[in-house]
Amino acid sequence: MSDVEDLFAIAARELRTVVRTPAVVALAVVFGLTVVAVAAAGTGARGGYVPLVLDLVPFVEALVPLLAFALCYRAVLSDRQTGELDVLRTFDVSRLSYVGGVYLGRSIALVVVVFGSLLVAAATVPVLSPAKPTFLALNAAADSPVAFVRFAVLAVVFALAVAAVALAVSAAARTARQAIALAVGLLVAFVVGVDATAVAGLASGTFGIDAVPLVLALSPNGAFRSLVFGVAVETGSQRPPLAALVGLVGWVAAALVVAVLTAWKPVE
Amino acid sequence: MSEGDTAVRDATEDESTTESTGAARPAIEATDLSHAFGDIHVLEGVSLSVEPGEIVALVGPNGSGKSTLLRFLARVRTPDEGTVSVGASGQGEDDRREGQGGHNRVGYLPQQPGFRDGFSAADTLRFYAQFADGDVDVSEILTHVGLVEASDRRVDALSGGMTRLLGLGRALIGDPAVLVLDEPASGLDPGMVERLFDIVSELADSGVAVVLSSHNLGPVERTADRVAVLDGGRFVADGPPGELVEAVSAADLQTAFGEFVSTEEVEGR
Repeated sequence: MSDVEDLFAIAARELRTVVRTPAVVALAVVFGLTVVAVAAAGTGARGGYVPLVLDLVPFVEALVPLLAFALCYRAVLSDRQTGELDVLRTFDVSRLSYVGGVYLGRSIALVVVVFGSLLVAAATVPVLSPAKPTFLALNAAADSPVAFVRFAVLAVVFALAVAAVALAVSAAARTARQAIALAVGLLVAFVVGVDATAVAGLASGTFGIDAVPLVLALSPNGAFRSLVFGVAVETGSQRPPLAALVGLVGWVAAALVVAVLTAWKPVE
Repeated sequence: MSEGDTAVRDATEDESTTESTGAARPAIEATDLSHAFGDIHVLEGVSLSVEPGEIVALVGPNGSGKSTLLRFLARVRTPDEGTVSVGASGQGEDDRREGQGGHNRVGYLPQQPGFRDGFSAADTLRFYAQFADGDVDVSEILTHVGLVEASDRRVDALSGGMTRLLGLGRALIGDPAVLVLDEPASGLDPGMVERLFDIVSELADSGVAVVLSSHNLGPVERTADRVAVLDGGRFVADGPPGELVEAVSAADLQTAFGEFVSTEEVEGR
């Protein structure tokens, strides 16, 4: 088999594993219900697509990393602990095929859950929006389903970045305890750590306001938020948030490189 | 111990003879393997050569380095020093890419084989079969290892012994030229142990080189062509089981084993 065929074989097993794991399925259902509940219960969906995006951003920022880590943080570690990594190596499966396959398989599940849930949430807008504009009404060009789709796509990219980081944790950790500690530490750093650093840096004068986008781009959460407010929701900014895009893509690339290098040591 | 040393020396001479006459390469050959975990030296200059069709049993006290040596032979770990080459065809040690996927693949049964929960025994073998060259008849493998009736059973519902047999089946995928089996009989009932060693004999008869570790010295004595006694990271004896027994004037391999390794280690097992 070629490396690509190996990759797809592994991806298929990962996907089947996710579908057969009740805890992960339950978490995905909870994520979906939460997103739809926020849309249905909040004021966002009644105001339009952009207000719904504003309602959902904090939930997506908090819940997507949880979902991604739940899906990926033990993927490689489990195979190592059961000896399956060793056996796969006797079939000469490459590290790139293995890590790529695990990432692809788990990412497909993640993308379906995240994108699907957000699309269902978006479907509440035409149902819940009043026929006449409210005081929150935006002009039709600004508030369109396209804005929401852009947000959903960015949420998917965000999810893929966090999944890559979770996979790197899974490959680098040698015990479940290490994996949990790394996962919790990174989640805290992503969700509050970088924001707190930005605020502290500004307050202390360590850096100016111009450096804030760069600091935010250092975490997937900050980069995602910058992209949402720079691309999905038009805020009149003159500059596209390139640093955030580079940051998010950089997290995917760097994390996957770490996962490949730490999955196993090649036999000389 | 002096008789044991003689057995080791004889084995070394045999290898030298093979090399000097230019006979076919061994199926697998480990040369001067040394390895340490921190300050603990688990292997010190161990060499082992196994011919096609030969069954070599590694025996030794717990912690003597058997599993570590088997991982090196399966080429899933790299020793601190020494080399492992696989391939009776003379392709050498640099042919990993084509060797592992094809007939020169090393089939490996880890000491505690594990599988992805939720999949059936047949699904599990089908997954691994995708990585082997050529068509793989999963049903035939399941039949071979005596698991055909459990083929649709989830792997997490298999008994410990059945899990080990499934691990053996997985090792057999792709018709490997070399089988490395770490405690294949552990957890099996006596009848199944006999069945397992019968399978190993059949495989060796078909030309597969088998290296296994086992504490079941009765079946080892009946089945193995050679027994290598590992103690303190070194081979203290290596030869046909009959010769080892004779060398220390023991009644059987179990008794001879006690002569080759230190008494405290045997009692500590």
